[in-house]
Amino acid sequence: MNEEKYVEIFNLVKAYPNPFGEAVKVVDGFNLNIRKGEVISIIGHSGCGKSTVLTMLAGLNEISDGGIVVAGREITGPGPDRAVVFQAPCLLPWMTAYQNVMLGVKQCYPHAEKAQRRIIVEYSLSVVGLADSMHKYPRELSGGMQQRVGIARAIALKPKVLLLDEPFGRLDSLTRMELQDVILGILDREKITTMMITHDPDEAVYMSDRICMMTNGPHAHVGEIMEIDFERPRDREAIMETDAFYAYRRRLLQFLDDCEAEKHARKQKAAISA
Amino acid sequence: MKFKILKALDVAGLQVFDPVVRLICGENPPAQLKKILLFIGIPIVAIIASIFAWNYIAPRHTTKAGEVPTPGVVKDAASGIWTFHVRENQKAHDFLLTGEQREQALADVEARMAEIEPLAAAAKERVDTLEAQSKDAIDTEAGPLQEEYKALRTATRDAAKEREAALIAEAEALPTGNAAAREAFLKKVAEHEKLTETEKDELRAFKEHIDAAYAAKFPELEAARAEYNGLEEERQYLSKRLEYLTDGNQSIKITAEEQKLDELQAGFLMAEGGKDTLKAAEKVLSQQASIERIATSEYSRPWTFPDQILRSVWCVFVGFLIGSAIAIPLGVLCGLSRIFMAAITPFIALFKPVSPIVWLPIVFIIVGGFIADPTTAPVHPAFLSSAITVALCSLWPTLVNTALGVASVEKDHINVARVLRLGVFSRLFKIVLPSALPLIFAGLRISLGVGWMVLIAAELLSSSEGIGKFVWDMFNNGSSQTFAQMFVVVFVVGAIGLLLDRIMIVLQRSVSFDGAPTAL
Repeated sequence: MNEEKYVEIFNLVKAYPNPFGEAVKVVDGFNLNIRKGEVISIIGHSGCGKSTVLTMLAGLNEISDGGIVVAGREITGPGPDRAVVFQAPCLLPWMTAYQNVMLGVKQCYPHAEKAQRRIIVEYSLSVVGLADSMHKYPRELSGGMQQRVGIARAIALKPKVLLLDEPFGRLDSLTRMELQDVILGILDREKITTMMITHDPDEAVYMSDRICMMTNGPHAHVGEIMEIDFERPRDREAIMETDAFYAYRRRLLQFLDDCEAEKHARKQKAAISA
Repeated sequence: MKFKILKALDVAGLQVFDPVVRLICGENPPAQLKKILLFIGIPIVAIIASIFAWNYIAPRHTTKAGEVPTPGVVKDAASGIWTFHVRENQKAHDFLLTGEQREQALADVEARMAEIEPLAAAAKERVDTLEAQSKDAIDTEAGPLQEEYKALRTATRDAAKEREAALIAEAEALPTGNAAAREAFLKKVAEHEKLTETEKDELRAFKEHIDAAYAAKFPELEAARAEYNGLEEERQYLSKRLEYLTDGNQSIKITAEEQKLDELQAGFLMAEGGKDTLKAAEKVLSQQASIERIATSEYSRPWTFPDQILRSVWCVFVGFLIGSAIAIPLGVLCGLSRIFMAAITPFIALFKPVSPIVWLPIVFIIVGGFIADPTTAPVHPAFLSSAITVALCSLWPTLVNTALGVASVEKDHINVARVLRLGVFSRLFKIVLPSALPLIFAGLRISLGVGWMVLIAAELLSSSEGIGKFVWDMFNNGSSQTFAQMFVVVFVVGAIGLLLDRIMIVLQRSVSFDGAPTAL
């Protein structure tokens, strides 16, 4: 297996028909290779197609053209080898946290014994810090705790690729920092290949090994890829004190500004030509 | 503790009593008293006011079936229905009593009979004397009036005749061809007719006055009559009981028949000659068969209203179960498959508004085709057709709600199922149905309400034993007493409907995941 190209996304296209029936390519020619065990963030302006790429990788969204290969196999639909943590926790409200995680575990380990399954579920929940609230219903948990259950459900599947779709988007900043550390802790231990969507530059720099910056849509594609050279495991305060952190951050913001400026220019040009 | 009670009240849909509990716990009494006044006090006042209004209005409208019953009469009718039920149960019980118990019961009944007979006789006497008194009173009041009326009638008749004779005389003297004179004559005739008419009206008014005197009520007499009727009914009931405790009793009958059997067997043992022995043997066998028949016989108890209520509730549940068993799976299929939904939609649209009155005869004929002999069938065809009619009318809300609930499962939940690659069945039972459950139960609740309304009409039409048949029988009886019993039915039907609805609310709340399933 190619460690360098554990996940290979080549020439990915997503086209939606506009009201007149013409196909509009939201994502066009997206190419990206992900190394085994690395954490890669995708950053870009809202609506540029970040989530579209992720849902296509998850198999929840049809691929218009191009292809995605995971661990040597082209994907054809959704599956538990690519676990997703959604922006909303998406827990089933009629099940406890334990049952929510168990639902996936039962599906992934059909031949495991009951006791083994229980250990997996309990382990996943205690990793995210919910050892004490396993048997609570989602409505009895705070938003942050619900998202922890969502994370536990994903990692309990032992996925080849973990897909995080703005997992902290709906949380307040304190909870967000806590959860970032929870996820980093898990990733350092389990070495799961991860793709994370975010629009927060600090979060991207702090958490990823590489950051993939996407241009604005339509015809969004990879604009630039930046390596982040921090040692793992990472310490937030230590990193925040380095100059490199701010350099990475500046570069990201610069890219996003440029994208915006380009979009503006394009609009003006269109207005003039019209 | 307090919060547990409050939560239980909330789940049961009895939030009305929330402030009472809070008041007992001493939580902000003025605010709670205000709430009690609003949510309990005012409804009670409204109920009392409506009872007064009913009491005032009812006697002012007389119908073919007597006066519209007042609340008091309806209450008496209700207790009458209950007494009838209790007495029928007692008779059925007596029929099966044996040995010492029977003797004990017999002694009790005889004692009560001895008590009641002089009372009944006394009551009868009182009624007779009061009747005589009231007749006298009416005669003394109405007699002179009657005379006066007769005199007035003759007087008016004579006056009319006189006027007519005068007119004829005048007409003879009338010159022919004189238009003005004829016109004047015409006017006179018109005047005469008008006068006759007013005189007739006066007479009629006078007559009504006399009738009113005859119809005058004597409350004492009415009370005495009611008392006598009550005692007489009890006396008849006791004599019936006596019969069932003595000659009509099952064990007594059997003993008598067994004695006969013994004699016959003795005769058979000693019988000589081929023909006679055969005859004796046949007699023994037929006697044995008749004993068997008595031993398995039951008291032929008429349906009483409480039995009919239970039967109706049972019928609505059977119908509701049939309806739900059809509606929920169909609804799930509709919600899952757009093709199926498209195929079913015209049927829903077309059949939903059909009245039970239309369904019932059709169902009745079809069910009748399957059940040839109603006496041996495990279910009575009338019962079955009522239940099916209930099902046909009540399945639509459940069907539509289930389809809606299944079709509107949150997309996020579906995505979870897709990522986990859940199979069809676990997707259905773990994701789709639980999330549709609150809407399904909302549909079931509406269905049960509709079913209960439909059932009464169906029973009325199909003569299936139940509340509907009771109403129909009472309507056909047409007496003022049965009229009052129909009013009782209104309240019973309402109360049971309310109870069914409450049960469904509790069920609905206990399955909805945003509420608290742990509350009960």
